[in-house]
Amino acid sequence: MIRFSAVLLRSDIVKAALAASLLAVTTLHAPDAKAQAAEDAPLRVGKTFIAAATDPAQGSAGWALVSHGIADQLFRVDRDGRLVGNLATDATRIDDLTWQVTLAPDRLFSDGSPVTAQAVADSLNRTVAENPAARASAGALTFEAQSESLLTITSERPTPVMPSILAEWAFPVYLYAGGDLHFTGPFMIADFTPGARLDLKPNPHYPQADSRNPVQITRVADGQALALALRAGEIDLAFHLPVESRAMLQASGDIAVTSFPVEYQYMMWMNTASDALGDARVRRAIDLAIDREALIAAARAGRVAHGAFSQVFPFSADEPARHDAQAAAALLDEAGWIRDGDGPRMRDGETLSLTLVAYPQRPDLVTYQPVIRAALADLGIEVTTRITESPTDMARAGEFDLFLWAQHTAPAGDPGFFLLLFLGSEGANNYSGWSSAAFDALLADLAQTSDPQARNLIAREAQALIAEEAPVAFLVTPEWHVGKSARLAEYEPWGSDYYVIRSDFGLRE
Amino acid sequence: MAATTIRNLSGFSLSWLLVVAGGFALLRLMPGDPVIIFLDASGLGADGAVLERMRAAWGLDAPLFVQFLDWLARFISGDWGISYATGRPVLPEIAGRLPWSVTIGAGGLGLAVIVGFRLGFAAAARPGGVADRLSRLLAIGAQALPAFAVGFVLLWLLAIEFRLVRPLSGGVAERLFLPILLVALFSIGSVARVTRVAFCEIRDRPYFTTALAKGCSRRVALWRQGRRHAALTLLAVIMPEAAWIIGGTAIAEIVFSLPGLSEYVVRAVAARDYAVLQAFIAIVALWLLLVQRAAALARRSLDPRLADQLEWRDA
Repeated sequence: MIRFSAVLLRSDIVKAALAASLLAVTTLHAPDAKAQAAEDAPLRVGKTFIAAATDPAQGSAGWALVSHGIADQLFRVDRDGRLVGNLATDATRIDDLTWQVTLAPDRLFSDGSPVTAQAVADSLNRTVAENPAARASAGALTFEAQSESLLTITSERPTPVMPSILAEWAFPVYLYAGGDLHFTGPFMIADFTPGARLDLKPNPHYPQADSRNPVQITRVADGQALALALRAGEIDLAFHLPVESRAMLQASGDIAVTSFPVEYQYMMWMNTASDALGDARVRRAIDLAIDREALIAAARAGRVAHGAFSQVFPFSADEPARHDAQAAAALLDEAGWIRDGDGPRMRDGETLSLTLVAYPQRPDLVTYQPVIRAALADLGIEVTTRITESPTDMARAGEFDLFLWAQHTAPAGDPGFFLLLFLGSEGANNYSGWSSAAFDALLADLAQTSDPQARNLIAREAQALIAEEAPVAFLVTPEWHVGKSARLAEYEPWGSDYYVIRSDFGLRE
Repeated sequence: MAATTIRNLSGFSLSWLLVVAGGFALLRLMPGDPVIIFLDASGLGADGAVLERMRAAWGLDAPLFVQFLDWLARFISGDWGISYATGRPVLPEIAGRLPWSVTIGAGGLGLAVIVGFRLGFAAAARPGGVADRLSRLLAIGAQALPAFAVGFVLLWLLAIEFRLVRPLSGGVAERLFLPILLVALFSIGSVARVTRVAFCEIRDRPYFTTALAKGCSRRVALWRQGRRHAALTLLAVIMPEAAWIIGGTAIAEIVFSLPGLSEYVVRAVAARDYAVLQAFIAIVALWLLLVQRAAALARRSLDPRLADQLEWRDA
């Protein structure tokens, strides 16, 4: 039998037949194997921002870790702008300085160990001690485990919104064991080149780990280069593309571009310390004179602002900003700024002349400058435009009449941050210098109110008051653009750049 | 000998210290508070007390002179501080990025010298010919065209239209190819024009006429008699460019997404990240002084007659 086989094998015919069979089998299976390999290949993401470090105690690493899908916080903001539990289920205020937080059951770190109150307390106490950014909102926080799942938090300053503070990027939860860090997100770090590239693999202790592909994140510093990388097929997702690249990518046929509103707001501060802008009628006139649709057309993206907050949030104002040039002219007349024919408006021999400042770090704002100048010129207001590289310094010094500004107004899903800091009489960033007893009374209410629904109502009242007094004109909610290859056609961006890679990222059936 | 060496080293150290101290003062004069920029960029609100606490944590609350002495002592001992923006130590960050920038800068300049020198010689050998016109075109193009735009055109042509390179996902050599080419493209023209002028100067010299009289062709005589002079002239011109190998390749790094030092410094300027910028100034100052010395030595070896004019000379 053995000898017979050997003879057969020596035969050229049999060899040829065997080779043909082998080839046929290989050929039949090759497409399947190739398709499988393509399906299992890493998803490649290009972003203009990437983690510089993997330790939340360092700089803004916490932000990047959450944005990249590696870490979770106790609370987070969902796609509808609501503050919801993540690693925690709820938080209860015990007294002015003390809160109690209950952890969600069955959550694991990427090494398989359970997320316990002690582990959370250890990690967050370490972050608070080492990272000054974690002490910005309520001073130093002290975390103490009461049981396996119950945590007490004591703050240096009173806060009615501890869940919102815990949703800030500075507070990702991690297990710090012997110098190694383990997180709880859907992905874990496989390889890392700080500031350049991050290779992720599915976290095996996160639900549906088998349905996730590895992810490669590469930092592409320039938006145009990002668009070209997507066009060249080097990445599957290009996050935050320049608007002018949209047409080129869409024309390629196999790339989809999704635009989505972000939580930043474009606005214009009006310096109430200046002679003309001290009068609320002049400020309201300027607010009414600006056609937001013209701004959107100039920048080729955005949505008309609804008050201080993006429409994503439940505390956004109901009505969009109004444009009424006639009403604006009437208000200026009423304020004593009279126009003779097509000349400038004057009062007591003085021309109504204003300086409008913007900064190049937000190119859209520079684009808005001539549009706003033209709108105000139609009304008889002379406008001089200026650009500054140091917006905060200039705004703090009050060296402006009108200042175009971009701001994330609810980074942790709560309206209090922006209203208090930027518009309260004692607000550290009250650039307009506006002071209103009625508004401060609303802020005092807000400081005492923990219930989210009640806070939303107060926030809407506050926005109505701002609209009446117009220390600031809310202009446009910007849109960002995300390019996707066919592999990520289902991906829907939300949450600005706070939650780019989430548990549903590229999830297979 | 020893006294001269000590004198030279002292001068070298003093020059470095003066540049570094000047840089330290200039950085602090830049408008923009790093703490406020960090908090603005991070979307965190903070009152005056928090700002003061962060300034103290970053060592910005001490008098400027104390800050400088503290920084200097730590820098010399190898502790280059922590980046405000990333929270990571500056030394390993710079050490990791420096090779990318140096490779792009040195590679680009090296390529420009090799190609530009040959092109300059060809232009001098045949004035008004193709090489002459090409070198003029490249020199004018380098002045007139924005490097950013040329970089994107290269990216479009080679990565998208012809699919010859993968600048983002390729290997190290593949990723370095386009940046080096971009840096070289912007230097070849000027190198070629300088080389051409140097070779042309030789044609009036008696030894060139002698070489022709001995039966050499014009081209061979030009090459044999002129290359040393051209190299010497070129050396004087490219040394200042070599000084910018560290930190001068930002556009190439940004367009082609390479994690180099120049791109890192551009971001540090925007964030007023003093820890990064101060370390950068210190190493650039050191590099500039070394390049200056190396240039002097190179010029002396090419033309011993210059030895008397050099500061850095043996006793």
